[in-house]
Amino acid sequence: MQLSLQGIIPIPLREKVNTYSSGIWKNSLQLNKGEYVFVQAPSGTGKTTLIHILYGLRKDYDGEAKWGTHVLRATDNEVLATLRTNNISVIFQDMRLFPELTAWENIEIKRKLTNTISEQQASEWLDRLGLKDKKNSMGKTLSYGEQQRVAIVRALLQPFEWLLMDEPFSHLDNANTDKAIALISEVVKTRNAGMILADLDDNNFFPYTQKIIL
Amino acid sequence: MSEPTQKNMLKKLLMRTQNRSRLWAALAALCIGTTLLLLSVMIWWNFRELLYGKNQNDTLGSTFLIIGKRVTEQNMGVANATVFTPQDINDLKTAPQVEDLGIISSNHFPVYAMMGGKLAFATDLALESVPDKFIDKMPAEWKWEAGSKDLPIIISSQFLDIYNYVFAPSQGLPQLSEGSVKSIVLNFKAGKDEQSEMFLAHVVGFSDRIGSVLAPQSFIDYGNKKWGKPGISEAPSQIILKTKDPSDTKFADYLQKHDYNTNSQNLRWSKIRAIVEVVTSATGVLALLLMGIGTLVFILFIELTIARAQNSLTLLLQVGYSPKYLSSFMTARFLPLVLGAVILSMIITIAGQVVTSLLVISQGLVLPTLPGWPVWVALVISTGILVLLVSKSISGAIKKT
Repeated sequence: MQLSLQGIIPIPLREKVNTYSSGIWKNSLQLNKGEYVFVQAPSGTGKTTLIHILYGLRKDYDGEAKWGTHVLRATDNEVLATLRTNNISVIFQDMRLFPELTAWENIEIKRKLTNTISEQQASEWLDRLGLKDKKNSMGKTLSYGEQQRVAIVRALLQPFEWLLMDEPFSHLDNANTDKAIALISEVVKTRNAGMILADLDDNNFFPYTQKIIL
Repeated sequence: MSEPTQKNMLKKLLMRTQNRSRLWAALAALCIGTTLLLLSVMIWWNFRELLYGKNQNDTLGSTFLIIGKRVTEQNMGVANATVFTPQDINDLKTAPQVEDLGIISSNHFPVYAMMGGKLAFATDLALESVPDKFIDKMPAEWKWEAGSKDLPIIISSQFLDIYNYVFAPSQGLPQLSEGSVKSIVLNFKAGKDEQSEMFLAHVVGFSDRIGSVLAPQSFIDYGNKKWGKPGISEAPSQIILKTKDPSDTKFADYLQKHDYNTNSQNLRWSKIRAIVEVVTSATGVLALLLMGIGTLVFILFIELTIARAQNSLTLLLQVGYSPKYLSSFMTARFLPLVLGAVILSMIITIAGQVVTSLLVISQGLVLPTLPGWPVWVALVISTGILVLLVSKSISGAIKKT
């Protein structure tokens, strides 16, 4: 599934963006499946806004964003739900776990949507990221780092063509970051999927095919 | 590690904010509203059944009036002045509120009634007959054929009342029950002199509707043919009318215009009936209003539950749950509650109908033990509307998320 962006300007950033030209805002961009795009930008320049626009959470922008033939702003919630279960997955910067569910339930509630990954596989992934003993801990009692790792595993539990990541390792130490990168790379490679990673610094987490500076 | 089911997790996320006491209050409001609606339909239908149903309560629904042409100074003594012409009868058939009419035939031959014993009496008697469908309580023995010496008769209930409460006490005679009157055999002599015949008359019933002595139509026809005075008009002087609402001013105007005479007491009963109809309809409107309020309370409860689960709903949509799936999940949680309330309402209504049918039996009336079809229709329609409103409010609230 190809991603096309055409003259996107988030309305809250309209004035700011009009003073300069960036790699994404105002311009046209086409990304093909399997590409790895690294979006580097300092705080407040719209990384999260971009990820939210691409995931269909925000519609307050000028221009047009398309996944394949789906014009995101005009796509209804049912189709968006299908895209979010089968084509696009996301790791939010703020994790967005259910605080009233355990770590394992946070995994299961996503996994059971598509049932494409086995329960055993999901459990192994959690173990790999060092969460073996945290499966029954409530979401709200997990540390940011633990929440981030649960969010990473949750994002990998579905079929996807694109993985969107918004500062996915911001709360992880180096060792856990490495484990997470290894797991993500493995799954993305298996799926032959593309990635868009938005982050502050060029940490060279993955070998990107395209780097965009906002 | 426990194995959470998807439904359990969704329930935890979306329904945990339910306040039990509010849920029971909302269900109670819904149940009360539905019950009142069904009961009001039941009462309305029972009322109609009693008044207009094709059953033994026929007397209640229609007012039967016996009309005659008023005897005035001008027509007094004028032959055939107070009989109904075929033109009058045809005209009456199309008069306002008239549903049916029957000709009251009277005997044009002498009838002499006698009885011996302690209650000995002898008197000339006038007999009348009406078509069978106008008899309020049809006795099984109501049949006479030429050649038979047994003659069934129906007397007015008022006759027995007058005897028991006026005549018997004044004469030191014993009072008589309906049963004892039915066991008495009267000797009837019909016709003149050598051509006369003797009959054994039995009282087989009492009429609240007709204030005279009734004999079967076949007997009156036989007697009039055999002993009737030649030249006497066969035209009836009284007509019995089955009317829907004789208190209708159009009907009253009609009677007045044609100078017909009737019992105004019946007109008053009809007015009372009309008032009861209005009260029943008003109860229905009130019940509909209460059902609306009950439904509103329940829907507000649903919307409150959804509003409280807003964060979880938003997150679920973001992880890929579709609005349709979540709507179905919520609907599947709330619908059994709605259906439970409706079923409880229906059970109460059925119990109400059973009790009502038993109560009216003591009044000599008959009602079915199960609610009539309009109650079932009201149940289906109200349940359909409830299900639709609940589903719509859930999907609407989720759509807004």
